[in-house]
Parts: sequence; structure tokens; C-alpha cells
Amino acid sequence: MDRDELLRVLRAFEAEGLEYVLIGATAMGFHGLVRATEDIDLIVRATPENLTRLRRSLQTAYPDDPHIEQIRDADLLGEYPSVRYYPPTGDLFLDVMTRLGDSASYDTVEAEIKEIEGIRVRVATPAALFRLKRDTIRPLDHQDAAALARRFHLKEGD
Amino acid sequence: MAVEKYRSAHEMNSAPIRVPLGDSFERFLRHCARYWRLSPRRYPRGVFKFRTVEEAQAARDQVAKVGMGPSQP
Repeated sequence: MDRDELLRVLRAFEAEGLEYVLIGATAMGFHGLVRATEDIDLIVRATPENLTRLRRSLQTAYPDDPHIEQIRDADLLGEYPSVRYYPPTGDLFLDVMTRLGDSASYDTVEAEIKEIEGIRVRVATPAALFRLKRDTIRPLDHQDAAALARRFHLKEGD
Repeated sequence: MAVEKYRSAHEMNSAPIRVPLGDSFERFLRHCARYWRLSPRRYPRGVFKFRTVEEAQAARDQVAKVGMGPSQP
């Protein structure tokens, strides 16, 4: 993951006023739990206005990429709540979700503001990440959940 | 603390990861950069959509396996 590219994307999110919560390993990085990842996982508020902000911010970060128009409201607000975007740079990709599982959405995932180089980033709290990762089937997520539990003294009921 | 001591591997693995405050995200980025150099990937271009997280994960595994993405829907 290229540092400048990540910051460019986060800066564009802020400039467009995108309503999002960063989850996944990038969010864990903000909380001091370090493991490698290639993607930026985010849950966005599921409204047409916000999805317009999403496309605008990606167009700012990746000007002239025609693929961005393929991120469609009908998909993210309908039966495809998860969209993966591979930018032209090839260094990372973005997993954009409007909902995750039965209950996780922008409104239900607790978040806090972190700052990097003056960019305000809305990051899921350690407890929210713990809940998201604990309930999936991927072994790597269970390892992440265990690391979060150890670091932040989280328990099953948190 | 530069050196930490443990009585067993289990104790070591259970220890919290110590990252200085304020530096953790930079360290995360450096770690990702090292990982990329050790294990470069060839990604597809564009947008792919998934009905479930499991579908998305399967597609990601496919990319990791062959270094190329699925065909575009």
C-alpha cells in the first residue's frame, strides 16, 4: 500500500464530505495493531447523495478512471452491498460496503476520529472492529479479533 | 523497552504489540510496503460487485492465488 496514495484517497474523502467508517486492517493500523494489508475497507452511509460523494472523491484521487462510474447506486443500495474497486495504480484496492452481514452499517458501527497529516479519518473503534472480526468465518479475522481483545482488554460481551 | 523477555512462545504470542503512540500508523504503512516488496501482486482493473462478504472474500483469494483478478461482471 502506497503511503501517498492512501493519504490522497483519505484527503479526497474528507474534501467531499463522504460519510464513511474505516474498518479492516487499515483501521487496526490506526489503533496501533500492525499487520500488512493491500486494501482499504470502508462502510459508507447508504444514500444516493453519499454514493455520489464516493464517486466524486474517487474521481479526485484517480482522475480520468472511467471505471469509477461502474460504482452504481442500484448495486450498493440493492442486492450488491459490497463493491471492490481496483484503481489504475495497482498498489491497493478498496472494498466499499453499504452493509456487512445482517446488522453492520454506517449507522451501527461505532467510530472515532483519528488524524493523519491534518486529514480527519473516521475509524471504527477497537470494540467495533472486535465485534466485526469475531463474527466472520475467516481465520485471519479471528486472529485480528484475538489481537484486539488482548490489546484493548476486550471480552466476548463487548 | 528495547528487549522483552518471555518464559514461553505462548507467553510471547499473547503479549500486546507495543507500538509507540503517534507512530503506529506510519509503522503500519512501512510494514505494508515491505509486504508488497516481498509479495507483489498483479491486480485486475475496475469495479467488481458482490452479494455477500463471502463472495468478496472468494474473489480476493482467487486474485491472491493466480495474481490476476476474476473476469469483470
